[in-house]
Amino acid sequence: MKRSMKLLALLLGMLMLIVAIVGCVPEPASVNGSDSRDEETTTASDSDDATAAAEESTGVDLTVAMDASEREPVTLEVWYAVSGTSGEMFTEQAQAFDDSSDLVSLELSYSGGSNDTATKVSAALLTGTEPDVALMYAGPSFTGSLGNFDMAQLIQRDGFDADDIYPGIWDYCRYYTGEICAVPYGISTPVMYYNKDILEAAGVDMTNPPTSWDEFYEVCLQCLESGNLNGMDGFTAFDVTDPGWLFKSMCMQNGCSIVEVSDDGTINPVFNSDEAVEVATYWKQLVDSGIMAAGEHSAAENKFLSGNLAFLVMSSNRISRWTDVDINIGAIEMPYFDTQSVALGGNVLVIFTQDEQKIEAAWDLISYLLSPENNLDFALSTGYLPVRQSELETEEAAAAIEENEMYSVAFNQLSYAWAYVHFEQMGTMDLQIADALSRIEKGTREPQEALDKALEKLVSEMEFDAE
Amino acid sequence: MQLGHKKLVRRNWVLFIILFIGALSMLFPFVWMTLSAFKTKADVYSYPPQWLPSVWTWQNFKDVFDMIPFVRYYANSIYTSIMQTALVMVISILAAYALTKLRFPGQRIYSAFMLSSMFVPAVVTMIPLYLVVSSMGLNDTYAGIILPQINTAFTTLLLSSFFAAVPNDLIDAARLDGCGHMRVLTKMVMPNSKGAISTATLFTFLGAWKSYTWPLIITTKTEYRTLPIGLKYLVTESSSEYQMMMAASLMAILPVLIVFIFAEKQLVRSITLTGMKS
Repeated sequence: MKRSMKLLALLLGMLMLIVAIVGCVPEPASVNGSDSRDEETTTASDSDDATAAAEESTGVDLTVAMDASEREPVTLEVWYAVSGTSGEMFTEQAQAFDDSSDLVSLELSYSGGSNDTATKVSAALLTGTEPDVALMYAGPSFTGSLGNFDMAQLIQRDGFDADDIYPGIWDYCRYYTGEICAVPYGISTPVMYYNKDILEAAGVDMTNPPTSWDEFYEVCLQCLESGNLNGMDGFTAFDVTDPGWLFKSMCMQNGCSIVEVSDDGTINPVFNSDEAVEVATYWKQLVDSGIMAAGEHSAAENKFLSGNLAFLVMSSNRISRWTDVDINIGAIEMPYFDTQSVALGGNVLVIFTQDEQKIEAAWDLISYLLSPENNLDFALSTGYLPVRQSELETEEAAAAIEENEMYSVAFNQLSYAWAYVHFEQMGTMDLQIADALSRIEKGTREPQEALDKALEKLVSEMEFDAE
Repeated sequence: MQLGHKKLVRRNWVLFIILFIGALSMLFPFVWMTLSAFKTKADVYSYPPQWLPSVWTWQNFKDVFDMIPFVRYYANSIYTSIMQTALVMVISILAAYALTKLRFPGQRIYSAFMLSSMFVPAVVTMIPLYLVVSSMGLNDTYAGIILPQINTAFTTLLLSSFFAAVPNDLIDAARLDGCGHMRVLTKMVMPNSKGAISTATLFTFLGAWKSYTWPLIITTKTEYRTLPIGLKYLVTESSSEYQMMMAASLMAILPVLIVFIFAEKQLVRSITLTGMKS
């Protein structure tokens, strides 16, 4: 027995060796690459305030590029929080920039998921070991809290064309005080995907899709009645992988802006307003009627791809990734209450360095990444969205839509995409909203009570931090 | 007598079937992971689910190697896990011996303090620890990964409970014969606690092998990064690429499996002994 077990261990060791040989081992640098693309974007009204704020950061006017004769070669440390296909594309573009530049070389480092990156950056800022540039979620809450508004000046430079970027996307790059302190890169919106076969079996004409949440509710009931193609007990009509993200979109559609900033600069969370409670009540109805399963959001994508879910709300970045699946997938624009709106998500590029030479280098990198051709290339390869309006007018974008109709849905949604302001406790807010929705779904709290409690906890943390 | 034996056999068959079902349920995730590692994406999502791949493919393993520097991460994980395990075991064995076989002022307070440290979540100490390690200039070094993770409380307390079972009279006799503490420890206490030491070693190795957040925070260079960071790189954005994740997980789990196979006998014995002690 003992000998056989050791033989088994030996065989496993050999298996490890075989897979190591079979896999073509790349150079370590392949994961370290990251690119950041930057673009200068700001509206004219933003520019003046932004310039003043930015000058406070570095003490120099960054709206004008440094003279070429003054430039020195520098190495930029760049952290990035995107992985998989997106990480590969990002590093590829960054490497291309590195290769094309005599003055700038890059040290790229994957920094983990959004939460990991936030922890890593927080720790690094305390010890002065932060990167020069970072591609991360909620970047404005970091640069903004540091009073680093250099980006507001940089985006005013010639050749950047800040007005070409969707206004809603700019809102995603602002600190709560209003200044722009990041640039968009790897932006996404929630998209309503559907299983074409299920909807067909349910007798729903998706050439005339539901536009309101009430219509959507009726369509879901039809799916429950006659759309269960696999005859599964766990079949449901609708689910969402990120409940908080959709909830915030629905709140905005119903007239609740989630967070308001008063004239004196105070942040006031308002996600327990009557409008938000209406949304939460609708949410509960989805569960009570069996349209959506309670608390099974983490399995929603698998359920959808195995053909046991009619509708799924998930990031637009899935458009380019669901290419080799066995179900027929379509997408429709997000249903709405009063007005069309979807909350933006994804990452932004921020500059942490205060070194003048490095800021110039960082801007070179960002400008490269946010050039229309590079940004569109990144978008179509990863499923993230183009940030410039001009990108959608290109032949490449038209060809992508021709090939995959879901792109047009995601692109159209950009015109009414929206972002709430960034502030330090926005991570806590997301957690509290997710917790409230979970309790509503499981019936342990009524919508009003759940949202009140969530808001209470958020305000409590904000007050504690303020003290 | 014969009837009683038959009854016993019948009862054992029932027990056997129950245990067999239990064992199958334990094995199922591992078998599924192994089979999925060789499936195509279409096979993974096919409905109804299919056990065996329609086409056995090594492509998933190739894809993993294409996306991350798997061998470098693998080597780093093995090195840091072995070093960390070795250091933890040396410190824990010495500490456990001191706590159970020596007498010194504040002994109980020290034990209580050590126990209480286990109740502090790692996330709370993450940033303070980073400040300390960073101030020592250990960012992007193996030492930076290994040293802060030598938290010996669990293994020390685990070993203490076993060392305490070694009779003091035996140790006193050895001391009278002229043995020093190190000799008593290595020649008497450790040989009588092999099971516990194996268990503690396995737990420590597992903890080090799957450690993710700390190595991620303290390193930025690929040459120092470990396997869990590489796996995360696959998981975050490739959440629908289960076949690739399964291939990576299968490769990641093999060293642990090998360690377990070699330590199995001691591990089972120590668990059995733990049950008898109570």
